[in-house]
This record gives sequence, C-alpha cells and structure tokens, in this order.
Amino acid sequence: MRTTLKNPYVYFIFVVPTIALYFLFFIYPMLTSVYYGFTNWNGLDTKDYIGFDNFANAFKDEDFRNSILNNLYILLFSCCVQVPLIVVFSLLISGVKRFQGFYKTTVFMPSILSTSVIGILWGYIYDPDVGLINNILKTFGMDPIYFLADTKWALVSILITNAWQWMGFYIVLILAAILAIPRDIDEAAMIDGATGVQRAWYLTVPLIKPIINVVIMLSIAGALRVVDIVLVMTDGGPAGATDVMASYMVNKAIKFGDYGYGTALSIIIFIFALILTALYQILIVRRQEKVEY
Amino acid sequence: MQKKLVSVLALSVAMSAFLAACGNNENNNTASPSASESSSPSPSPSASESAPASESASPEKVENFTVSLRHIQIGDAQKFRKAILDDVVKKTEAEVPGLKIELDPVEDSVNRFTKLPAEMAAGNPPKIFSVFGGAGDTQKYAKAGRMLDLTPIIDELGLKDKFLNVLEPFSVDGKVYGLPIGGNTEGIFYNTELFAKYNLNPPTTWDDLIKAADTLKQNNITPFAVGSKGAWVPNMLVNTLIGRIAGEGANAGFITGDTKWNSPDVVAAYQLFADWEKAGYFTKGELGKEYADMLNDFVAGKAGMMFDGSWRSSAFKNDAIGAAVAGKVAFVNLPAVPNGKGDQTSVNANYGEGYGFSADLNENEKKAVKAFIKNMYSDEMQLRGLLEDGVLPSMKLTDASQVTDPIVKQVLDVLNGAGASFPHFDSIVTSKVYTETETQLQKLIAGKATPQEVGDAIQKVQDAENAAAAK
Repeated sequence: MRTTLKNPYVYFIFVVPTIALYFLFFIYPMLTSVYYGFTNWNGLDTKDYIGFDNFANAFKDEDFRNSILNNLYILLFSCCVQVPLIVVFSLLISGVKRFQGFYKTTVFMPSILSTSVIGILWGYIYDPDVGLINNILKTFGMDPIYFLADTKWALVSILITNAWQWMGFYIVLILAAILAIPRDIDEAAMIDGATGVQRAWYLTVPLIKPIINVVIMLSIAGALRVVDIVLVMTDGGPAGATDVMASYMVNKAIKFGDYGYGTALSIIIFIFALILTALYQILIVRRQEKVEY
Repeated sequence: MQKKLVSVLALSVAMSAFLAACGNNENNNTASPSASESSSPSPSPSASESAPASESASPEKVENFTVSLRHIQIGDAQKFRKAILDDVVKKTEAEVPGLKIELDPVEDSVNRFTKLPAEMAAGNPPKIFSVFGGAGDTQKYAKAGRMLDLTPIIDELGLKDKFLNVLEPFSVDGKVYGLPIGGNTEGIFYNTELFAKYNLNPPTTWDDLIKAADTLKQNNITPFAVGSKGAWVPNMLVNTLIGRIAGEGANAGFITGDTKWNSPDVVAAYQLFADWEKAGYFTKGELGKEYADMLNDFVAGKAGMMFDGSWRSSAFKNDAIGAAVAGKVAFVNLPAVPNGKGDQTSVNANYGEGYGFSADLNENEKKAVKAFIKNMYSDEMQLRGLLEDGVLPSMKLTDASQVTDPIVKQVLDVLNGAGASFPHFDSIVTSKVYTETETQLQKLIAGKATPQEVGDAIQKVQDAENAAAAK
C-alpha cells in the first residue's frame, strides 16, 4: 500500500472518473452551448453558423434591452433598499432580549418556502377582486390596484415579493455576525455613554462590514439570476413590463423555439454577471482591511 | 491493503460493466419473459406490474408494452372530451394485446408552446400527442422528421375520404402527419338574461353590438370578458376582426405576401381593438387574467359577452362548470363591420387541434397507433364529440340531426349561414410570427404601442420569415 500510494498515477486513476463526469456534464455542454450561440438553430432543423448576428440582434432588440434595465432595477433595489433594511432589522432583532429565537425563525421562514408557493401566495394577496391589499383599499373606498396586470405596478409588486422571500435569509447571516461580536466592546462603549444608535452605527456596522459585503455580493448575483419568481407571478408580463434577462431568454429559447438566439442571450447574461461581480470584488471587497476584534 | 485496492478496482470495473449493460438494454428486445419487465420501450411501474398478470392469463406469449399519450383535456371544462378519450383508450387497450396506454395530461398552451417544442428539439416526444396543425406546429415537426407519416395508415383504414377538407394544415408534400379531432369557430357568447334585463337586442348587427357594450358598461358590467395573460385569447378577436375588415382571404395572405400586417386594413382591425380597449369594453386588469378567469367572469354575470371558441359551448350545460348560466347563453357570429371588405357573413373555422404520432415507433407501438386512430376517428366518437362536447366533426357524419343542445345548434346555424370561411392565422404563419403577434397585442393592450407600430413590428418578423422560407 505504501508503495502504491507513492505512485502518482494511482492518484490520477482516482481522479479520472470525476474529471470524466465533470467534462461530460459541465465542460462539454458549456462548449456546445457557446457554439449554439453562434448558430440559428431552432431546435429542430440544421444549425447554420451565423457569426455574431445573434449577439448584434440581442443589443438591437428593444425588449431585451428593457429586460436588462429591469434586472438593473432589481439590482439597485436590492442593494440600495433591501440591504439597509436587512441591516436595520438585524440590529433590531439583535437588541431584542426576549423571544429572539422566535423573531429569527419568523423572518427566516419565507426563505424555506419554494418560490412557486410564494409566487402563488402573493398572487392572491395582490389579486384585484379577492386580494388582501385590495380589500383593505376597498374599505377606504379606493379603487382596486391591478398590481400584476398594470405595467406601472407589476415590477414593484415582484420586487416586494422577492424582498420578502430573501430578506430573512440575509438577516440571519448578519445576525450571526452581530452576535459574534464580543460583548465587552459594546459594554465599553455603553460605559463611555454612547447611545444605542451611536453604538449601532459606529461600532456594530463597521465590525460586520465584511459580512455586509458578502450580502451585497449575494444580492447582486441574486438580482442577476432572478427568474423563477417572475415566471411564476407574471411570466414577464404585462407586455414585457417584468421581463428580466433570464425570463426573456427562457421564453425566446423554449417557448419561441429560437435556441440559437436564446443561447446567445444566456452567454450575454453569463458575461454580464461575471463582469459585475468581478467589478464589485475588485473595487470594494479587496480594499477592505480585515476586521480584528 | 493492496488486496483492498484491487477489490475496489474490481468493483469499479464491475460497476461500469453493469452500467453499460443498462445502456444496452433498450436494444435487447424481449428475449425472455423476465427480460420484458426491464426492457419495455418506455419502462413504467404499471407495465412491470401488469407483466406477470397477463402472462399467466394467456397461454400465448404476449409482450407487454406501454405507449405514452399526451393530451390536453384537463380541468372541469374539458371533462366531456376527456370521457371520450378515456373510452377510446379503453377500447384500444382491449384490442391490442399487452398494450397499456399511459396518459400524460398537460395544459393546452404549456403543451403547445413549451413542453412539446422542447421534446421535439430533444427528439423524444410522447408516442401519441395532442398537436395543432399549421406551419408553427405539425408542419414544422413533420419537416424535421419527428412525426409519423399517417398516409399508409389512413389508406389502410379507409379514412382518407371520410375527412372533410381539413387535412391541409396537417400535411406536408401531400403526406398526412396528423388528424384533426374536430373543428370550431370563434364568435360571441352572450348572456341572454343580462341582455333581457337591459332591453338589449342580440348582438347580430354592429349597432346592436356597440349599443349592448355601451349599456353594459354604463351599468358596471364588463361588456367583454377576456383573459389576456395568454395573448392567444384576445388574438381570437383580432383574427376575426382582420377577417371582417380586410376580407376573408386576408389571413391566408400573410405568408404569400399578399397581405401585409401593416397594411391599412389590418391596422384598422388593430385600431378597432384598441378603440374597444380605450372604451373599456374588456375586463379590467385583463393582462393579469388567465383564460379560465374569462369563463368565470362570464359565468358569474360580471360580463355580458365574451369572444371565445365554440368549444366553450359544453361549459354551459347543467352538469358543467358554467351551470349557473345554463340555458341563458347564446352564440352569434361577429356581426358585419361597417365598411368591412369581403363577405361579411364569413366565419372563422378552424380544424386545428388533433393528434400526431412520434416517428420513432416499433412494430407494437405502430399497431397501437393504428388501433387508436381507428377508434378515435370513428363515426361514433365524432358524433359523441358533437353531441356531448359541441365539437364540430372533422369527418363527414352520416347523421347530425340528433343535436339538441341549443348552443351547438346555434354554432351549426352560424356555420351553415356563412358565405365563406377563413382560418385562424395561428395555423398559417410560422411560430416566430405568431409569437410576435402575441407580444405586440399585449403591448397594444397595455397602451405601449399604437396599432401602426404593432403592424410594422409584426410585418418585420413576417418579412424575415418569408425571406427565410424563399431560400
């Protein structure tokens, strides 16, 4: 055995099956789909190489540009509205003395539900005839709002639902970081006469910055790949108002049978996500020093 | 230690041999009864369960096999058609020894626009499946070699001359690849009780229709129920408006270039639709409503009319989903449009929906398919479809005088009174153009595009498709 394990080829044999499977299920499909992106394949007939036509068309395609914008709205919403809210909620929950476990569980609950369940649930909440919100509006004598059918409201409605689903997950992440801060730092500040708000802003937030960065990065990645909630709630409608890049790609490729174009779109999405996360990494995260307690 | 390594290697070799054997299994066709359990063409738990049972029942060696059947008869509104299908399946199973048909129900538009295209692309459609005729469906799949040529089968069964002149959308180069189950026309269903309540005439003339819509609107009743989340629903009305305003030959002209989507007549049809939209004739928030919501609104009396296919007539029976308005619903053709071109009595008539079969069948499966066709496309089932479900027969019926359902009678009257008929453009244009009509129509409904912009955008796609077809 000792001599066998000294032979490097033995290790190679152990790794070969995994590498083979990895090639079969990851590398090969990725390479073929890159190739499909340069063809006009409709899923049935022969594939003709058409160069960069698909990519050029994608940027000329007004509906696709609109879906990129929607992705950016979602990104901005999650970074500028969701993340501050997450931090505030985490600080509040961390300060609670009683029933902290209850709050933690409650906010975390939506993240364990499947997106389809959440989409349908909120579909009922938004329903113009029987929905909760519109019934409340009705009692104040207001006209119903067609949340998911009105181009002005649909994206906002989805953003709120999406935030409701994922905030709890991030709150638990940040809460863990807050609770890991040694108590004596906080107590020292308290003795020095710092108020609760001051302690939160000048002590806790700087100390949990690394984890906030992680949350922002996960939010960016999440905002770029969000699709399931859109497909369940509106399928990109009304009239493309909630189409995101991925839902547009799914509809183009699968529903409209334009596999070549759809694959090209998926490559664009991939590059887009890669650039954004890389930028964030380089510009923000690398500059940060490590926090030492 | 060394022994262990050897045994691990031996085990992995054995595993790979085992896996390879699994892969080959498909080619070993039933050599022995025990093999038949694992190597039936589409293995399923029910097949292996039934295998030993029938083996003991018949002394002859019967090969058990399953045939998958994709159908779209789901939900309460389709229950009559499902019953007919069930009977056909039962009959077919009894006729072909060893056959077990496995039903695979999928919602209509999911099947048509998502599931079946993906399966066709992957090359593994169900053996029997619900399919639509036309360039975007049957003809596309047939050209790609995915569908079974039925010409020899219908010749053998003597069905060739029994069909009405409806096989064209299912044919490529004179070969038939699918068989329409029945036909339908699209027109206006209206609630006679509401019409009587507000002293309205049946919407048989344009003025009466507009007056009815305005009166209903004033009384806070939606004139037309519609669910536009799936744009094929409002597209029904657009199709008939184009037929009325641009003439009954217009729809067929889109692929030849004789009709342009941005021609004044077609744009006028979109304009009329947009005007109705502006006048509030349609359900509020329609872009968030499903097709089923449209029927619900109509049945609940929230809407006075709806523009829908004649297949909906069976929903207004006493034991059906629309029982609340049973006996209070009537059907009329869209009335003549002022200054419309062509024959203003023409109707939209579609023989679009039917069954197709996978090209990849073995001998047994072919037998099953043949029996299925024989049982499904029979006088008996066609008559039952008409009487129980209000589906217009796609075959020449010897006797159609037994129709008692008042709405089905009205549908037949509309068809008999028609001077000409025109198809729905969804069975004529390619799927790319059709999806563009859906996208653009939703933009029109949302007020994000003008009728002229809609026409221009669709024509752009049509031009590209026509150019590609000419290559």
